[in-house]
Amino acid sequence: MAEDLLQQLVNGVAWGGIYALIALGYTMVYGVLKLINFAHGEVYMVGAMTGYYAARSFGLAGAPSLLGLVATLAASMAVCALLAAIIERVAYRPLRSAPRLAPLITAIGVSLLLQNLGQLVFGADPKFFPPLLESRNVFEVGKLSVSNVQLAVLGTAILLMAALQWIVMRTRFGRAMRAVSFDAQAAALMGVPVDRVILGTFVLGAVLAAAAGVLVGLTNPKIDPLMGVLPGLKAFVAAVLGGIGNIPGAMVGGLLLGVIETFVSGYLSSTYRDAIAFVLLIAILLYKPTGLFGTTQTEKV
Amino acid sequence: MSSKRVAAFALVAIVLLALDAWLPSWLNPYYATIVTRIGIAVVAAVSLQLVNGFTGQFSIGHAGFMAVGAYTSAAFSVYVGAGWLESLLGLLPAPLARSLFYPLVLASGGLAAAVAGFVVGIPALRLRGDYLAIATLGFAEVIRIAILNVDAVGGARGFSIHAAEHPAADLRFEGFGAVYAVVVVTIVVVARLVYSSGGLSFRAVREDEVAATSIGIATTRIKVEAFVVASFFAGVAGALFAHSEGYVHTNSFAFLRSFEIVVFVVLGGLGSITGAVLAAAVLTAAPELLRGLGEWRMVLYSLLLIGTMLLRPQGLLGNREIDLGWLRKRFG
Amino acid sequence: MALLELRRVTMRFGGLTSVSDLDLDVDPGQVVALIGPNGAGKTTAFNVVTGVYAPTEGSIRFAGREIAGRRPHEISRLGVARTFQNIRLFRGLTAAENVRVALAAAKRSGLFDVLRPGSWRRQETTLCAEAVGLLERLGLSHVADTAAGSLPYGDQRLLEIARALATRPRLLLLDEPAAGMNPSEKQDLGALVARLRAEFGLAIVLIEHDVRFVMDLAERVSVLDHGEKIAEGPPEAVRRDPAVIEAYLGAPDAGGAPA
Repeated sequence: MAEDLLQQLVNGVAWGGIYALIALGYTMVYGVLKLINFAHGEVYMVGAMTGYYAARSFGLAGAPSLLGLVATLAASMAVCALLAAIIERVAYRPLRSAPRLAPLITAIGVSLLLQNLGQLVFGADPKFFPPLLESRNVFEVGKLSVSNVQLAVLGTAILLMAALQWIVMRTRFGRAMRAVSFDAQAAALMGVPVDRVILGTFVLGAVLAAAAGVLVGLTNPKIDPLMGVLPGLKAFVAAVLGGIGNIPGAMVGGLLLGVIETFVSGYLSSTYRDAIAFVLLIAILLYKPTGLFGTTQTEKV
Repeated sequence: MSSKRVAAFALVAIVLLALDAWLPSWLNPYYATIVTRIGIAVVAAVSLQLVNGFTGQFSIGHAGFMAVGAYTSAAFSVYVGAGWLESLLGLLPAPLARSLFYPLVLASGGLAAAVAGFVVGIPALRLRGDYLAIATLGFAEVIRIAILNVDAVGGARGFSIHAAEHPAADLRFEGFGAVYAVVVVTIVVVARLVYSSGGLSFRAVREDEVAATSIGIATTRIKVEAFVVASFFAGVAGALFAHSEGYVHTNSFAFLRSFEIVVFVVLGGLGSITGAVLAAAVLTAAPELLRGLGEWRMVLYSLLLIGTMLLRPQGLLGNREIDLGWLRKRFG
Repeated sequence: MALLELRRVTMRFGGLTSVSDLDLDVDPGQVVALIGPNGAGKTTAFNVVTGVYAPTEGSIRFAGREIAGRRPHEISRLGVARTFQNIRLFRGLTAAENVRVALAAAKRSGLFDVLRPGSWRRQETTLCAEAVGLLERLGLSHVADTAAGSLPYGDQRLLEIARALATRPRLLLLDEPAAGMNPSEKQDLGALVARLRAEFGLAIVLIEHDVRFVMDLAERVSVLDHGEKIAEGPPEAVRRDPAVIEAYLGAPDAGGAPA
C-alpha cells in the first residue's frame, strides 16, 4: 500500500515536471505582458513534433542514447524559439497598445492556426515518438520502481528550472525581465529595452515548452497535432494555482497538479482526472483569490 | 401598448412566421443547418456581451451554461415533455401544439442554466480579471465532465432526443421560428437592459467599481445579475442547439466552444450588441463558406481571425451600435 | 444632534496609523473644512466614513445610525455622497449618463422594471429630465452628451459633484474639489458650494490644502496632521493657531502655508 502510494507519487512528480515546464512559459509571459498566451500549448505540440522528426532524421529511432536525447532537445528548442519569436512579432507586438483583450483573441487565433496547420503538415494521425532511452528500472524496491526514463524526465526538468532560476535571478536579462514584469513603463524609462525583453521572455518560455514536448514523447510516445490543447490549458491552470506571474508558483503548481492528477486517476477514476485540475483550481481560488503565491493588489482610492 | 408597438410586434411575428414556413422548404438542409447555427451563435454571443462587454467582467465559460441548458431541456423533453407533446398533438393542430410546447422546452433549459449561473456566479464573481476568466472556464469544464458521468443523459455516448415510448412526438424543433424568436427576444432584452437608465449600472461597474459603489450601486449584485441573465440565454441557446440537432454530446460544449463565443464578443467589439451579432453570424458562416478550400479551410479561418484582430484591435464595431441613427449618419 | 459623528476613529494599515483617535461632528446644513498637509489622513478619513475601509477602531454615526464598517453602497443609500481626489467618473459614459446612473441607483430600480414596457418608458422620461435639470444647475448642460472622459478638467470636477448630488445625499464629502483650478474657477466653485448648501440643505465636508479658499466658505475648520486632529474651530482662529502654522511650515513638501 505504502509502496503503491510512493509509486504514484513518483509517477505524479514526473508528470508534474512536464506541466511545470509548460506552466513557466505561461507565467513568464503573463508576468511581462499580462497576456494569457493561449498559443503556448501549441508551441509545446510543435516541440514534440520537432523532436519526433529530429530524432528520426538523426537516426535515433533504433539506437537510443543520452546524447541523442540531448541533440533532440536542442533541435526542438531551437525550432520552438524561432516559432515563438515569429508569433510574438506578428501576432502580439502590433497589439501592444491595443485593448487588452485583442491580443488574447490573436492568441486563440494562433492556437487554432497551429492546430490546423499541424494537421496539414504532420497529418492528423497520431505518431509514435521513438524511444530515445532504453527503458529500464534503475531503482526497485518491492513493487516500487523508478525507471531511467522517469529519472531523465525529472532530471531534465529540474535542470532546466534551475537554469531558469539562475537566468531570472542572476543575469542582466533576468533583471530586466523582472523590472518589466514589475512595471513596464518605469522599466522603459530606466532604459530597459522592453521589446527585446518581451521577445526574450517568449523565447525562454518556448524553449521550456519544447523540452516538455520532447520529455512527454519519452513517457507518452503517442503524439498528435491536438496534443497541446488540454495539457496547455492545464499547465495554465497550474500557473494560476501558483499565482500567475510568479515563477516558483508555476513550478509548485505544475508539480502539485501532476501529483494530484496521478493520484485521482490511480485511486478514483480516470474519467475524473481531467476535472480534478479545475476543481482544485476553483477550490484554491475561492480560498485565495490570487493563487497560492500571488500577491493581492489593492486599489488606491 | 401603443399602436406603433403593436405594429412592430406584428411585423416581427410575420417575418418569423414567413421565415419559419418558407425558408426551410426553399433552402437545402445543409444551409438550413447553418442558418439555425447562426441564430444560436447570436444568442450565445449577445448574452455573453452583457457580461464581458457591458459589465466588464471576463467570463470564458459560457459553453458550460449552454451545456446545462442543452442537457436539462433534452432530459425534460425525453422524460417529461414527450408525453405532453403527444397529448397536445392529439388535441390541437400540429403547428399550434408545437408553438405551445417549444417555450416550455426553452424555459427548462434557460432556467436550469440561470440557476447554475447563480450558483457559479456568487463565488466566482469575487474574483477579478484573469482569475475570474480561468475560474469560469474551470466551472464550465467541471460542469461538462460532471454531465459526462450522468448515465440518465447518455454519459459518454451522448444523448439522443427521442422518446421511444412516445413515437408520435418528434421532439426535434422544426423550422427557424423558435431560433429566431429567441434571437429577437435576446437582443431586445439585452439592449433594454444596457441602454436604459437602470442598466447603466452595468456599464458603471465596468468603468469604475469604486465610483459605482459610491453612488449606491451594489456591484456584486449587478455582476451576478448580468451573469444570471447571460446564463439564462446561454441555456436557451443550448436548448435550441440540442433540439435542432436532435442529439447532444458534451464535446459540443468543451472550452473551444467557450473561446469561440468570447471571440464573437471581442471581434464584434466589446460593448456592442450589433457587433456581437455581426461577428457571430460571419464567423459561424465562414467555415462553411470556406468549405471549398478543403483541408485549408480552418487554416484560412484562423488567419482571418488573426488578421481582423490586427486590423481592428477595437473589434469590428468598437463599442458602437449599428442602428438607424448610425446608418443615417454613414449613408444618409 | 449632529448629522455625522466620528468618535475616536482610528485607521491602521499594518503598522502605519493613518488616522488616529479622530473625533468629528458635522451638523445638518453645516460646511466643515478638513485641512492639513499631504499624508495627514484626510482622504483616509473620507474613505472610512464612506465605507471604502472599515475603521480599525472607533464609532461613526450618521443620522443616529452606526455606519462604521458598512459597505460603501449601503452608506451611499443612507445619504452620504462623495467625490474623489483623483476624479473617478465613468469615463466611457456621457455626462448625462453619469448623472442618470446615479439617479437610477438612488431610485433602486430593479433589473426587471426594464422588462415592463410601460413603467420603463415613464421612468426613462423622468430620469432623463431630472438629469438634464441637475446638469443645468451645475452649468454643464452644454456637455450633456459628451463622454465624461473627454471633458475639460474643471467640468469633470463639476460633473463628479453633479453625480454625487444625484444620489440625493444629506451629507456631501468633497475631496479637494478645487485641485488644479485657477483662481477664478476656484471662486466660482466657492460660490457653487455655498449655493448647493442653501438649495439642497446639504451638510458639506471638504478637503482642501488652500486655507484661503475655505476661509469664507466653512463655518468650522478641522486640521489634521499625521492622522491626528491638531486644531479645530472657526477659520480665523485656526489660521492663527501656532500648532497649525507649525504643522504647515514644519512639513516642507506641504501644499502651501496657511497664508
